[in-house]
Amino acid sequence: MPDSHILLGVIGRPHGVRGLVRVASYTADPADLAAYGTLSDAQGRLFDVAWRAAGTAEISEVIDGRRVKVATREAAEKLTNVKLFVAREKLPPPDEDEFYFSDVIGLSAFDEAGVAVGVVTAVHDYGAGASIEIERAGQSPLILPFTRACVPEVDTGASRIVVVPPDEILVPDDGREAAA
Amino acid sequence: MTRSVWKGPFVDGYLLKKADTSRASGRNEIIKIWSRRSTILPQFVGLTFGVYNGHKFLPVQVNENMVGHKFGEFSPTRTFTGHSSDKKAKRG
Repeated sequence: MPDSHILLGVIGRPHGVRGLVRVASYTADPADLAAYGTLSDAQGRLFDVAWRAAGTAEISEVIDGRRVKVATREAAEKLTNVKLFVAREKLPPPDEDEFYFSDVIGLSAFDEAGVAVGVVTAVHDYGAGASIEIERAGQSPLILPFTRACVPEVDTGASRIVVVPPDEILVPDDGREAAA
Repeated sequence: MTRSVWKGPFVDGYLLKKADTSRASGRNEIIKIWSRRSTILPQFVGLTFGVYNGHKFLPVQVNENMVGHKFGEFSPTRTFTGHSSDKKAKRG
């Protein structure tokens, strides 16, 4: 699957005998999986997803513009573990100063002088602001808060970001100050 | 059992001192701490802490909604980054 496609979910085991399946949705709001319209799998097959209950959906395969509903358990079993992708351009444009995780991951990081720092490998958000993890050659990963002060420039078009690592103050558990 | 009110919130004393120093400096700083047990106090709002999760220091940008919680709540020790999907990050 090309990079221009984003993984949104995976079809799971069949549910019942009428072709319903469990679907694991990776979207920020799980219900949004069905809102992106027709999804594709790694082979290029097209599917429509319609939620029937929490985590349970009816799948229709789109063949030559026609929607063919998966109506039996046997047909549903054949779809187990099928990954569902959407084209990147189908995602709505983010607000100002908002970035899709998938757009930020993979960007090259440079310092203010233009020296390469590494590559962004992950974006973390555990409820205390987003942070980015930068993999550096021969060094431990650098984790920075995703703020204007630390990441003043994000250019997804040029696939680069500029980072300004903050000063670090180490505070050991015994309260003594350690060298940063 | 909850903590008695008369005791007040627990916070390692040296954090207060460091927070005051960092705020006074006004620089782009991250205060790396091991004290996951400390309660987030109102005077920490606006500062960025690096809270150790046993493996690395995860940045915690303190805001008003986090007051009363512990630092450790925002630096999970078992992490599953999941799939990026359509998730968005807002630059603070």
